[in-house]
Amino acid sequence: MKILLVEDERKTGEYVKQGLVEAGFVVDLALDGIDGLHLGETGDYDLAILDVMLPKLDGWQVLAGIRRVKRELPVLFLTARDQVADRVKGFEQGADDYLVKPFAFAELLARVRSLLRRGSRSKEPERMQVADLELDLLRRRVTRGGHRIDLTAKEFALLELLLRRQGEVLPRSLIASQVWDMNFDSDTNVIEVAVRRLRAKMDDGFEPKLIRTVRGMGYVLEMPGCD
Amino acid sequence: MRLRGQKSITFRLTLLFASASTVVLLLLGFLIGRSVEEHFEEQDMEVLSGKLELARHALEKVHSKKDLDSLPQQLDDSLIGHHALEVLVVGPDGRTLFATGGADFPQALLDRQILGVSTHPTVWKSKQGTLFRGLVARTRTGIDGVPPAVVAVATDISHHQHFMSSFRTTLWSVVILAALATGVLGWAAVRRGLAPLQAIKREAAGITAHRLNARLPTDSIPTELADLAETLNEMLARLEGSFRRLSDFSSDLAHELRTPVSNLLTQTQVTLSKVRTADDYRDILASNVEEFERLSRMIADMLFLAKSENDLIIPNREPVDLALEVEGLLEYHGVLAEEKHITLECSGSGIVWGDRLMIRRAISNLLSNAVRHTPDGGRVTVRMDDSDQRVAKLAVENTGDTIPAEHMGRLFDRFYRVDTSRQYLGEGAGLGLAITRSIARAHDGEILGRSDHGITAFELILPFGPPKSGVVAHSCRK
Repeated sequence: MKILLVEDERKTGEYVKQGLVEAGFVVDLALDGIDGLHLGETGDYDLAILDVMLPKLDGWQVLAGIRRVKRELPVLFLTARDQVADRVKGFEQGADDYLVKPFAFAELLARVRSLLRRGSRSKEPERMQVADLELDLLRRRVTRGGHRIDLTAKEFALLELLLRRQGEVLPRSLIASQVWDMNFDSDTNVIEVAVRRLRAKMDDGFEPKLIRTVRGMGYVLEMPGCD
Repeated sequence: MRLRGQKSITFRLTLLFASASTVVLLLLGFLIGRSVEEHFEEQDMEVLSGKLELARHALEKVHSKKDLDSLPQQLDDSLIGHHALEVLVVGPDGRTLFATGGADFPQALLDRQILGVSTHPTVWKSKQGTLFRGLVARTRTGIDGVPPAVVAVATDISHHQHFMSSFRTTLWSVVILAALATGVLGWAAVRRGLAPLQAIKREAAGITAHRLNARLPTDSIPTELADLAETLNEMLARLEGSFRRLSDFSSDLAHELRTPVSNLLTQTQVTLSKVRTADDYRDILASNVEEFERLSRMIADMLFLAKSENDLIIPNREPVDLALEVEGLLEYHGVLAEEKHITLECSGSGIVWGDRLMIRRAISNLLSNAVRHTPDGGRVTVRMDDSDQRVAKLAVENTGDTIPAEHMGRLFDRFYRVDTSRQYLGEGAGLGLAITRSIARAHDGEILGRSDHGITAFELILPFGPPKSGVVAHSCRK
């Protein structure tokens, strides 16, 4: 998967690039709008991450230029401005998602993966499985090792999210937003408590432990040892 | 030409004074000149018509040619003593019967076919350059069947003209001098009248960022300027408020950032002071991330507050069903409440016209505070009330210690905490209520707090949704 990153602040750009490369992506970094547009028009990318405030050409202009050549390329905006007007402008001009600076890297990664998946989403699965954990999405039932596990609606939604994005570290803010529709900063210790309770139901007394806490980042559901 | 706005008030008022008085004086001068002239004319007319009458009388007494010949002698006698008077009598046969020296009566005057005395005198200049005013009349004689004789009288009026011209010269000089004098006096009066402006100027010059509390005096200046001074004072008050908020904001920010930043610095420096295991580094980095997240959240919150204080938070208005949002939020905060065996309840309904995300945030802040400050086994209640036509009320109540009244009013100040020693234990940096209030105010609403008998309640008052919003409020049940 190849990503174009246009960010004029060198340090931010380098770190984001490093993070994305370590997550398994191929990343080209452009430091201004003109270079970014040139790469975007000529290179073969699966996703573009654009900063709004760029020298020479701003993010909107780069977006418009790229859209002329590649209609389908998913574009994620990074913006320091969190005004509603800007967001509306971004979506009107065809941005697929935006992230307000400063952002957690895990959040960026999660959104990038989500945007990339959007293009290649196949039929909705009816059931999901990892190790001996099974989710029946139609009947909203969970079993582990053949034992039925009773979950509340929100616990089910949380487990479903973790399972759908297996192997990805999901930041607390993303979980709060996806499961509880909390699209603003709120007490994230709610998430800690909710995850602890979910674990008590589906991890305690079972092996292997599937949900892992990544300190300072969030939570990930994966088979241990496949790191 | 210079623009009006650039000229000084003194200059303009002086000019106005001078021109107004000049106009009045000119009018006065013109009227005086006219009446003096009319007076002279009347005087002349009196003399002229008297003499004309005399001559006519004499002519009427003429009954024969003989009488006609003795007429000059008769006229000469009666006109003696009037050296400035000129008389001409032309007989019925066109012969000049009587004529005194210098007046060249114009032929046009003599040809007038007027019987009786003409009331309109004529003014003309003789060959010698003397001005005359004269009257003419046709008079029947006592001789039957003979055409009337013509009598003309005139008087030298050059001495009147001399008087008038010197009178006018004096008049115009007086007018000019008076105009100049009013100009100068007006200038002095305006300077004196505008002296309070100078006082205001001196006062205003002394106001700086350090003396923003200074105000212009309003009692010692004239009423016309008092209004202006009051308006300026109001402006100063607004500026002072903004300035104080701005400087409070920077000092709060610096103060609140200093401690966590210095903690981070120390922790990182200590870690780097010797070689540690990878796990140790991971721990430190993770702990740093947590602290950074807290800082970044605090900065975002401070920015939100700064924007709202400058009226830059513009809610995206739509109908918001409060009960629906509260139910969703109770599910979220219920996770923590359950841990503490806190009962969550809600009742009532309400629709407000506002920004859904902001309103959720405001309610969530209240719930988060309530859950945090309710002791184990307590109760948090959300009551909604839409009985008012204009506003919907939403109160979040919790059981627990009563907050002392002296803290209550200041709870909405940013970074204000009742228990100062616990500032880093909770999630909140003391901004939650400040943000909630700024959201309420951005919606033209308000938030009130009260605490007594072990119940603490915060009530949001928000503008009611428009009646045609098409959203049916549903009641909260939990």
